[in-house]
Amino acid sequence: MSIVEFKDVTRVYTSGEHETRALDGVNLTLEEGKFVVILGQSGAGKSTLLNMLGGLDSPTSGTILVEGKDISKLTNNELAEYRAKTVGFVFQFYNLIPTLTVQENVALVKEISKEALDPKEIIDEVGLLDHLHNFPAELSGGEQQRVSIARALCKNPKIILCDEPTGALDSETGVMVLKLLLSMARNYGKTIVIVTHNQNIAKMADVVIRVKNGKIKSCEEQSNPMSADEVEW
Amino acid sequence: MLKRKLFRTALGYKAQFISMIIMIAIGVGVFVGFNMEWVSLEKDVTEFLDDTEYADYRIYNEMGFSKEEIDAISGIEGVDAASRVLSVNVGIKDTKDALSLFVVEDYVVSTMLVQSGEEYSEESDGFWISDKYAAKNNVSVGDEIVLTYRGMEIAGEVKGLVKSGEYLICVVDENQLMPDFDSFGYVYAAPKKIAEAIGMEFYPQINIISKLSKEALENEIRDAINKTTLVVSKDEHMSYAGAMSEVEEGKTMGAILPILFLLIALLTMVTTMHRITANEKTQIGTLKALGFKDRKILTHYTSYGFSIGLIGTLLGILLGFAIAGFVINPNGMMGTYLDMPVWKLYLPWFCWPLAILTVLFLTAIGYLSVKEMLKGTAADALRPYTPKKMKAMAIEKFDFFHKLPFATKWNLRDIWRHKARSFMTLIGVIGCMLLLVGGLGMKDTMGAFFDLIDEEINNYETRVNIVETADNEVVKEFAKENNGDWVASASIKVVDKAVTLEIYDVTHDLIRFIDEDNERVTLGSDGAYICSRLTEDIKVGDTIEFSPYGEEETYTIKVAGVIRSVMTENIVMTKEYAESAGIPYHIGAVFTDLEQDSIADADYISGKQSKKMIMDSYDAFMEIMNIMVALFVVAAVVLGIVVLYNLGVMSYLERSRELSTLKVVGFQDKHIGKILISQNVWLTILGVIIGLPGGVAVLYILIKSLAGEYELSLELGALTYSVSMLVTFGVSLVVGLMVARKNKHIDMVEALKGRD
Repeated sequence: MSIVEFKDVTRVYTSGEHETRALDGVNLTLEEGKFVVILGQSGAGKSTLLNMLGGLDSPTSGTILVEGKDISKLTNNELAEYRAKTVGFVFQFYNLIPTLTVQENVALVKEISKEALDPKEIIDEVGLLDHLHNFPAELSGGEQQRVSIARALCKNPKIILCDEPTGALDSETGVMVLKLLLSMARNYGKTIVIVTHNQNIAKMADVVIRVKNGKIKSCEEQSNPMSADEVEW
Repeated sequence: MLKRKLFRTALGYKAQFISMIIMIAIGVGVFVGFNMEWVSLEKDVTEFLDDTEYADYRIYNEMGFSKEEIDAISGIEGVDAASRVLSVNVGIKDTKDALSLFVVEDYVVSTMLVQSGEEYSEESDGFWISDKYAAKNNVSVGDEIVLTYRGMEIAGEVKGLVKSGEYLICVVDENQLMPDFDSFGYVYAAPKKIAEAIGMEFYPQINIISKLSKEALENEIRDAINKTTLVVSKDEHMSYAGAMSEVEEGKTMGAILPILFLLIALLTMVTTMHRITANEKTQIGTLKALGFKDRKILTHYTSYGFSIGLIGTLLGILLGFAIAGFVINPNGMMGTYLDMPVWKLYLPWFCWPLAILTVLFLTAIGYLSVKEMLKGTAADALRPYTPKKMKAMAIEKFDFFHKLPFATKWNLRDIWRHKARSFMTLIGVIGCMLLLVGGLGMKDTMGAFFDLIDEEINNYETRVNIVETADNEVVKEFAKENNGDWVASASIKVVDKAVTLEIYDVTHDLIRFIDEDNERVTLGSDGAYICSRLTEDIKVGDTIEFSPYGEEETYTIKVAGVIRSVMTENIVMTKEYAESAGIPYHIGAVFTDLEQDSIADADYISGKQSKKMIMDSYDAFMEIMNIMVALFVVAAVVLGIVVLYNLGVMSYLERSRELSTLKVVGFQDKHIGKILISQNVWLTILGVIIGLPGGVAVLYILIKSLAGEYELSLELGALTYSVSMLVTFGVSLVVGLMVARKNKHIDMVEALKGRD
């Protein structure tokens, strides 16, 4: 069943007289529960794609259907609600609130989502029960990213969006984080979309989408994705 | 190229730059303005008094001074000039107005400046009249006026319109607070004319210009005329004392308010400059990495501090002139009180070093802020600024903390983490509160004071002033017929000060007395009552010795209690006690419940004042007070808005990444706005809690500075408290909303790109 559908989505950024077509007539369908990797060079438009899907940005033209609902015409408040319920984010630089502890950073989402899961349980699952009361600055990069994953999952969204989730980590930690991300997503039945320029991550994906110059260059399904351990880093 | 960057960066931080410039301008402006006010006042007054040969000393003798006595006094070494003087209140025919007639025998002391008309001449039979009185009553040069004095009429032509240092503060007596040229002025006439009109030479006063000390002069005079005379120095004379107490008040105001403003301005500058350079750290690092020498980068960023300092200080000096000009102005606040010809503004010398220091200090702030960012290698400099790591606060040990909503925890930790910023916000709120409570409280206090005089103390309708030569028995009869109470006043010397001795006969409850707690006191006849100002030197139970001026006899009285005096520094007793102590008296005024017009004129009556007339002069004072209060309120609001907005924007910029994270996670704008505003509200609550007693303290200091003039008791109405709090919260909320609105425009994508 398709969960996401991009129909002729275009995003044009204008600064002064200069126009940049970050997305140029993108058509795309994503199936529920899949692990999708979007690959592309810097400036290819992959982050714009992710931002559109995450409700951080709206297309200049075209429609984006998520669970059959058009999110391209939502108001700011409706977009906020969409972000609160439907999508979870994992960022390259974690984006944790420095003045909240691990537990608080995760529990934060309970303020906005009624379907949120038990924060402590999720923290336990990402293996940070010992660090419940630590502040982000007291954690390593990998640990911070695990908190970020816990936060994304705790909201209990349908889709988890990750923008270069291992970009700031060494390869060993990166593998750990990816493994965790995958296993958690599978356990909870989430659709995962990762944006990266790392070809290796693509080897683990159910679907690999290549983006170039704001257009979808290819979209291939992999019947036998590798596990994180099998991938050579 | 760096210069171009300088301007563009400044443009990027325009909110911060403008608010810093405003703060510095206000800080410097208030400092310069308030200090320029008293310095200019002091200079203008001194020059005017010098120009009109204002007397340093005055001596009095009810029986008049003889020719020999004035010659002897003029001959004293150290007496530069002296003249016999007649100064009495006279009426103007067919009006209710009164004039103080001033006759100086030898026109070398207490002279006047002619504003229009002809110069003074001893041979002339005309009048020189106060130009302000003339303007209010349509009197011009060439008009004929008729003065009335004890049934006599003295007619003459107005020769000139004048100003005189002697009448710098032109009031009927000390009961009148502010001049009222509608009904009271002064007139000079030549001695010959007056002697002819009253049929004799009579000079009960001598005005003296001398650099001798009061004590030395007293001794010299005693030796010269073989008589003890009360010497009244200019410090005890209304014109000089009143003007100088304005100067003193100005000094106090110039010390408290401006320092507060300047301090807040500089502190804001420290925090803001630090934030800006912290935000600019990667740029600073880039410049360093590109190969710019540290010195060049330092100069570049230091020039921000320098230019803000320079522009702010220059604007501040201009603002200072505006503030001082508002007060020191013939039509301004001081103009209704003091009557002098020249109102020139002088920039006090100490404003220059202050201005230079401010610019230097701000430059140094800029320098030190960048220096910190430049530390270490180019790679170090390139790394973005990281605020101090979050550590658990002490209150986190308690369970309740963890039960708080996340927004509360977040805000509490944010306040704790950015202590300087929070502290400055607090200072801004406290400053706002101090000004409001101080300003509004002053109005309350003065208002309550005047109400007390009007409703509690002066219970009469008309005050009838009695001539000095009237017979006590006649006056007592007059009082009895009109159901009146009376007072006899005399100047006496107590603890080296001239104070007024007031002997009362109160049988109709027309004058009342109150103690320091504003409770009514019934005067007993077992002693005298001193006013609170005298309690520093005299205690209840003490005995005091004194001799009224012009008398050899010494009297001893016992102090039975303390009362609050409304105006003069005085000692009060009943007629019965005065008689038992053998103190002679001469009735000076009768108080009655009758209307002014229903009291028939008599040769022992020198004038009539309705209570309303006296209270009207207080209203003029209150009007000035209201302007001052309005200034305080405006200052408070400006201070609050500028400081809070500046810090609010800073806080917002610093948290923009966290805020955008919240937004990405799915928080609504309203929700995030609430979090931002609630931090402001907490700090405001705390600031109000501290600022309220602080404001009361400021008020207390202000009242202390006025203590020489009035015995005020601190009054604060519920309205003052509520208005101060409401305005402070209002300012904080408005600023909070302004900052929170920015949140709507946050660019989530942009804000999430960088690294922590």
